Amino acid sequence: MTAPRPLSILCEVTYRCNLQCPYCYNPLDLDRYRAELSTEEWQRVLGEAAAIGVLQAHFSGGEPTLRRDLVELVRSASTHGLYTNLITQGTFLDDGLLTQLKDAALDHVQISVQAPEEHLADEIAGTRVHTRKLNALRRVQETGLALTLNCVLHRRNHDLIEDVIRLAESYGITRLELANVQFYGWAYRNRTALMPTRAQVEHGVRVVAAARERLGRRMEIAYVVPDYFEERPKPCMHGWGRAFMTVTPNGRVLPCPAAAAISTLQFDRVQDRPLRDIWYSSAAFEAYRGTGWMPEPCRSCERREVDWGGCRCQAFLLTGEAGATDPACALSPQHAVVADWRVAQEETNFEPRRMPAAAKAS
Amino acid sequence: MNATPVPAFERGVRLREEADGSAVLLVPEGVVRLNASAVAALRLLDGRRSIDDIVSALRESGYDAPEDHIAEDVRELFVRLRERRLVRW
Repeated sequence: MTAPRPLSILCEVTYRCNLQCPYCYNPLDLDRYRAELSTEEWQRVLGEAAAIGVLQAHFSGGEPTLRRDLVELVRSASTHGLYTNLITQGTFLDDGLLTQLKDAALDHVQISVQAPEEHLADEIAGTRVHTRKLNALRRVQETGLALTLNCVLHRRNHDLIEDVIRLAESYGITRLELANVQFYGWAYRNRTALMPTRAQVEHGVRVVAAARERLGRRMEIAYVVPDYFEERPKPCMHGWGRAFMTVTPNGRVLPCPAAAAISTLQFDRVQDRPLRDIWYSSAAFEAYRGTGWMPEPCRSCERREVDWGGCRCQAFLLTGEAGATDPACALSPQHAVVADWRVAQEETNFEPRRMPAAAKAS
Repeated sequence: MNATPVPAFERGVRLREEADGSAVLLVPEGVVRLNASAVAALRLLDGRRSIDDIVSALRESGYDAPEDHIAEDVRELFVRLRERRLVRW
C-alpha cells in the first residue's frame, strides 16, 4: 500500500535517567543504547523529518535534559518549522535551561510527577526528586511556556487521582494527563506490582468525570482506561507506520516507541539509510502497515481502520506473534491472557528501572 | 458582553501553513485539521483584532459566503475553538 505522510517524530535522545521509575516503557537492555547519535546526526534526522512532511518533534528519553546539546536540537527542529515538545521529568529544569529552551522556540513542555505527595513520589522514582519537580512546574509557569502535567497511574498511586488533580490546580495547570501505565519494557516486567484493580479504574473514571464537570474550561484532563480493562484495543500510534515514528538514542527507527521488543523485526538505522526510505519502504514499517497483514477477526472487522488491530508490540509480548490480533480485544482468540490480569494481583515489590553502571566512563 | 472578544491562540497552539496552501493547527498532542473558512479566519488571529474586526477583514477580502452568514459563522467557529481550548479570550 502507499504509505501516508508521517506527522510526528519522537526523538528519544538518550535512555540515561536519574530516576528509576518501575513503569518506564524503555527497553530492559538499556546497556545497548549507550552509544548515542551525535548532535550533527540528530540535526540531520530533524531536517530529513521536516523534508518528508513531519510537523512535530517530541524530545524524550530517558531524560532528554541529560543531553548537553538539547537546546541546540530544539533550535534545529524549530528552524525546520517543526512544533517542538519536551517530555521531561523536570529535575534539571532550572531558570537558565528554561530561558535557553524558550529562546530556542520550544512550543510545549510536559513534566511528570510520580504521585501527589513527596514520600510516595520519591519512593516510586527511587530518589528524592519530588520537590525539585514542583519547583520546575512553578518555573515553567513563570516563563509562560505551554505546560502539561503528567502523572503515570498504577496500583500504588491510582487511589490518589483526586489529589493529583488538586496538585495540578494549585500550580495553575490547564492540561493534565492522567496516563494509565502501559505495559511495555520495565512496566511489563513489573506488571504484577503495577496492575491497577478494577475498582481503582472504576473509581478513576468517576473522579475524572466529576473533576471535568467542576473545572470546565479551566483544566483539560486526559484519562484513558488501561486497555487491559477494555473490550477493544487502543488504536496504537493510529496505525503502524501511518503517522508516527520513534528514533532511539542509537539511531534505530521504530513505528512505535515499544517496538524494539519485537525480536522478529529488523529496524533500520538513520546512520545507514535516509529517513524517507525507512518510512516509505523499510521492511519493518511495511510489515504491519494498513490492513493487508491482518488475520481474522481483524481482517473482516468493521473497526479495522479505527483501531488498526491494536498494538503490535503488545500482541508480540503477550502472544509471541507481532501479527496477531491485540489480545486486549475481546474478539481475540487469546483475550484470556489479558482478561486474566483483571483479577486482583498479589502484592509484590517492583524492580526499579536501572541502566547498569558503565564499564568505563562515557 | 457588548464589545466582541479579542481571541488569541492558547499557549502551545499554533497555525502552521502547509505547502499546498492549506493550514493546520499544531497542539501538544497532535494536529488539528481545519476547513478553508476556519483557516481564513485563523490567519487573521493576532491577539489584537476582535472577532468583529476579523469578520470585517474577511468581508473585505471577499470571503466566500452570503454576507449575513459571515458574522455568525465566525462567531460559532471561535466559540467552538474556545471550547476545545485552542483559542482563549
